[in-house]
Amino acid sequence: MKALAILLVAAALSAQVKYEDILKGPGANWITYAGGYSGQRHSSLTQISTANAGSIVPKWVYHVPKASGLRTHPLVYNGVMYITNTNRVIALDARTGRQIWEYFDPKAKKDGVNRGAAVLGDKVFFVTSDVHLVALDRRNGALLWQTKYGDPDKGQNATLAPLVVKDKVLVGNAGGDTGMRGSLVAINANTGKEDWRLYTIPAKGEPGSETWSDLHEWGGGATWLTGTYDPALNLIYWPTGNPWPDFYGGNRKGDNLYSASVLAIDADTGKMKWYFQFTPHDVHDWDAQAWPVLVDLPFRGQQRKLMLYGNRNGFYYVLDRVTGEYLHGTKLVDRVDWASGLDDRGRPVLVAGKDPTITGNVSCPGVRGATNWMSPSFNPATGLFYIMTLEQCDVYSASTKEPEPMKGFSGGGAGRNPESPGRFVLRALEPTTGKRRWEYAMSGKVDAWPGTLSTAGGVIFSADDDGHLVAFDARNGKVLWHFQTGETINTSPVTFAVDGKQYVSIASSTAIFTFGLFEPAAPVTPPVVKEVP
Amino acid sequence: MWRQTFLILTTGALLLPAAEPEKPKNPAIGNPEAIAAGQKLFGAGCAGCHGTSGEGGRGPKLRNRAVWHTLDDDGIFKTIKRGVPGADMPGSSLEDEKIWQLVAFVRSINSPAIEQNVPGSPQAGEAIFWGKGGCGNCHLIRGKGGMLGPDLSNVGGLRPVEQIREDILTPDNDGYETYRRVTAVTTSGRKIEGVLKNRTNYSLQIQDAQGNLHMVSTAGLREITLEKKSPMPKDFKSRLSREEFRDLVAFLSRQSMRPAEGGK
Repeated sequence: MKALAILLVAAALSAQVKYEDILKGPGANWITYAGGYSGQRHSSLTQISTANAGSIVPKWVYHVPKASGLRTHPLVYNGVMYITNTNRVIALDARTGRQIWEYFDPKAKKDGVNRGAAVLGDKVFFVTSDVHLVALDRRNGALLWQTKYGDPDKGQNATLAPLVVKDKVLVGNAGGDTGMRGSLVAINANTGKEDWRLYTIPAKGEPGSETWSDLHEWGGGATWLTGTYDPALNLIYWPTGNPWPDFYGGNRKGDNLYSASVLAIDADTGKMKWYFQFTPHDVHDWDAQAWPVLVDLPFRGQQRKLMLYGNRNGFYYVLDRVTGEYLHGTKLVDRVDWASGLDDRGRPVLVAGKDPTITGNVSCPGVRGATNWMSPSFNPATGLFYIMTLEQCDVYSASTKEPEPMKGFSGGGAGRNPESPGRFVLRALEPTTGKRRWEYAMSGKVDAWPGTLSTAGGVIFSADDDGHLVAFDARNGKVLWHFQTGETINTSPVTFAVDGKQYVSIASSTAIFTFGLFEPAAPVTPPVVKEVP
Repeated sequence: MWRQTFLILTTGALLLPAAEPEKPKNPAIGNPEAIAAGQKLFGAGCAGCHGTSGEGGRGPKLRNRAVWHTLDDDGIFKTIKRGVPGADMPGSSLEDEKIWQLVAFVRSINSPAIEQNVPGSPQAGEAIFWGKGGCGNCHLIRGKGGMLGPDLSNVGGLRPVEQIREDILTPDNDGYETYRRVTAVTTSGRKIEGVLKNRTNYSLQIQDAQGNLHMVSTAGLREITLEKKSPMPKDFKSRLSREEFRDLVAFLSRQSMRPAEGGK
């Protein structure tokens, strides 16, 4: 009976999520998109380890209503899991997968994906597809306020998981493939009022606007992937999307600042401190939408505050995150042919004849990029950086048609090159050099978008291109365990603990799968149920 | 060759097929003249089974969305025109324009309250909600109020006015187990009291009056007491005057997370 008593959890789940809790990084709770501000996606949990990962079993599955192609990263706080789908948030009992509450906004216009929620205090935040930030009571899903922070009538939609920094909720927008002006907006978590806004495309006359011949108002630079944050520097690092039209640059001659860049932004004021543009004048839809991962490591004999950045354009970058100085770059994937390398300031050295053409032109990487929103991770024990990469080339075409915003026009397109079907390769890199330490090539149709999770148990979790969740030994890439979800995986795993038991969760296309270590089932003696009519 | 391959765009949400453009509404929908004409047709041909104001009878109730299929306008049109095979409802021989008038009337009685013309004073109703009605003791609106009942911040955006009236007057008839009082006693004798959020044979999720969630495995429980009736008071007919009740409904009808379509 003692064992049964231990099974009982009656946690009074009223505790407030504090900013300081987010600062701690992921352990029993996973309370921000990347688990912690650094974007390392490294959990301190050790119960699941290289020694016992072979005994992982499924614990529960929750089928998300009307889901298709889920992008959500679950958050977990004190045993409650918060997941999202388009215009929907659901709170689940993280041990059992039973629904506690659901919030749905049937009147939100537009459709699309949603990448997850954010939590602070008693609130859970998420964005609707028509660019509202919604604050709900974390305990029962009750609506507290919602703030419209963008305009669907100007081509914007919203898909990201918000980022809480101190008392602010940071949100961005999507829509850069059909014309719109990207911005990052800080909204007060208590009042719902806008604190500051930073446009990623300068207005006419502002510094940087000289890098556009035209199209400032519709130039893209979306902000649809959640950024990272350095509390000591008080700097937010946010990636920006491609310039528009994606595949034809004749109407936007110049570098097109601040598209395809990472921006360092003062968290209190919203002022840009520095920027680094990975792909000046991009014509391949290579958003810089990848994770700025923050690590402190010796670099050429000196301890530095670094940013590690695997980019869609095929290169891997090491930046100084205090100043934005380019420190090192190398090819992330083998298939890179649009640039021969990076110069000493990190600017790509272009190869002639690789731009999209009217009749179609093969270029590498493919339009999905050498990596993308799938999360990388960093394991301090192995000192390695883990990143999902894609070896692929595509056929890029351009259209010189006069660009018309919000009409589905992207200045061309990209299609698969039958001669280069492509494949995903999970790679472990030395962070400061980008040298490969191990890699794991995947079979599959190249239609997944899986990210990685690192744990102090020495296990890297990721998914493959065939719908498996896979556990790897962080040291050498040995496959320890795998499980077939039966669906394409477009998200990254998270880990958390309830009642001292570690779990791993991931969203497949339509469901949330949660795993833990095998335990023999105990017979259940049901309680007496009395019904009062 | 490559032109046959599908276009891939990889920014933001665009990997999914674009949302279908919203179909334009039939001009009869929301048109007062069409609704009035539809009401006359309804009285002549439909009220015999569905009740004069859609309250139901031999045929299903039409003014309460929760208990019948949430058909879109086209779905209602087709149902009227073709009838329901296997049921007593025959197809209609009316011309399409008249069927659309019927659809407009049905829509007018089952559209969310925020879209309907609801009589009464929302300001007076607000005072009743937080005062004499006692509603705010258990229900939240935009973060203010009690935790035991459902959030009402969007009740006017989701439910037709007639359903809101019924929810207040006959709360036991919602057919759900959730939001009922529950007491769970552990094997060690500890009591957990609150309202039920969810229950299976293996776990319960209970919320107490302070809003705390208790997630309980039944393996650690000795006894569960479930109240089948809603904890909502049943005395609103006597507690509130007719005008007060009307105003309360008017206030609830205005609670919507989104403004009314058409700017009402």
